[in-house]
Amino acid sequence: MDWGVIPRNINFLLGGLVLTFELAFFAISGGLLFGIIMGLCRLSSRKWIYAPATFYVNFFRSLPLILVIFWFYFITPIIIGRPLGDFLSAIIAFIAFEAAIFAEIVRAGIQSIPKGQVMAGYSTGLSYVKTMRYIVIPQALRNMVPALVTNTVIIFQDTSLAYVIGVKEFLRRTHLVDSREIRSIELYAFAAVVYLILCFLGSTLGRRLEKKERR
Amino acid sequence: MIQIKNVSLWYGKYRVLYNISEEIKKNTTVVICGPSGSGKSSLLRCINGLERFQEGQIFVDGKSVQDPSTHISELRADIGMVFQRFELYPHMSAIENITLAPMKVRGKSRKDTEAMAMSLLERVGIPEQARKYPGEMSGGQQQRVAIGRALAMEPKVMLFDEPTSALDPEMIREVLDVMINLSRSGMTMIVVTHEMGFAREVADEIIFIDEGKIIERSTDKQSFFENPQSERTKEFLSKILL
Repeated sequence: MDWGVIPRNINFLLGGLVLTFELAFFAISGGLLFGIIMGLCRLSSRKWIYAPATFYVNFFRSLPLILVIFWFYFITPIIIGRPLGDFLSAIIAFIAFEAAIFAEIVRAGIQSIPKGQVMAGYSTGLSYVKTMRYIVIPQALRNMVPALVTNTVIIFQDTSLAYVIGVKEFLRRTHLVDSREIRSIELYAFAAVVYLILCFLGSTLGRRLEKKERR
Repeated sequence: MIQIKNVSLWYGKYRVLYNISEEIKKNTTVVICGPSGSGKSSLLRCINGLERFQEGQIFVDGKSVQDPSTHISELRADIGMVFQRFELYPHMSAIENITLAPMKVRGKSRKDTEAMAMSLLERVGIPEQARKYPGEMSGGQQQRVAIGRALAMEPKVMLFDEPTSALDPEMIREVLDVMINLSRSGMTMIVVTHEMGFAREVADEIIFIDEGKIIERSTDKQSFFENPQSERTKEFLSKILL
């Protein structure tokens, strides 16, 4: 055992962690934004709105995330004529995939709000958008907190899949150090501990938020 | 103020309303009664466009409710509605419930709207509840906030959909008192209710609906209660009047 491999490469490894956080940040915020829009579209009574949204959600939910990452990486240069770069390509793949997951959480959350609340909003002259924004979504978000927290932690873990297209995030860098120093057990144990601690902190924070929201 | 012309409504194949026609004049209070499932709440929701009917027309203040050129949100802003289950926004305090629509629909300032909301809460008798959340209030208090919320838009008409049906008996009076005062102040009101005491006190017209049809209407309360024309009305009244 040579645990010295970690302090020797700590700056390089932590630099990867920064990238991991960046990936997670864009995946979560972008996924949530498009997920809310997609979730609302799923609930529309107009077929030309809900049918494409439903297709989108079912499509991405039927594909493994790693395939989506590969696919975006290889297909976008063909479509737009030049490579997007691994980082941008990974972010687009994550947002596209997570939007479908968040859309289902949002749909369930919004359906948990009684229809009378919408009627009350409409009856005071609020438009659909304002009724959603001020009345339905704030309440639905509270109901969604547990599912959102779980999914957020999962996304954080899933960012390691960006590894396959060469994004130098935390796990990729761990692998790079290993191929140079051949200290697999120490390095992957370190990576596991880092993911474990961060995800545990994330879940704990999420539970706090749940308790606060329930009050 | 409101003209309902030959309105028919279906839920799928089930017909809810049959050629309903009615005219409601300004400053009058109309009480609609009838057994549950008779279509009276549906009729109320047709008036502010919460329910789309398939036949007929409804005009509110001269504007056709279902005409594509009518801006339905603007029309609804002038029609207050009070629901059986209050439907206050649980994530907002009483005063926020009242100020939301005036601020977001009419674009009024927070300061002006809060002052107006406080005077409305005084009018419905619960200024001390201003900062409380719906979950911390009794049913009667919640319904009075809901009336305040509707009044905050300074509506031309108020619709009440069984406003006391979900209340504990000892809280019915406080809500009815607010409604009676509102009616006496000249508000145009359509009230779906079984509170015949309220009808006796302030109704200018009483309509009895059964199975989606207007069975009887009367501007003479005395004769409606004591000498109803239809057998069906007689039967209904005998069941609800003790």
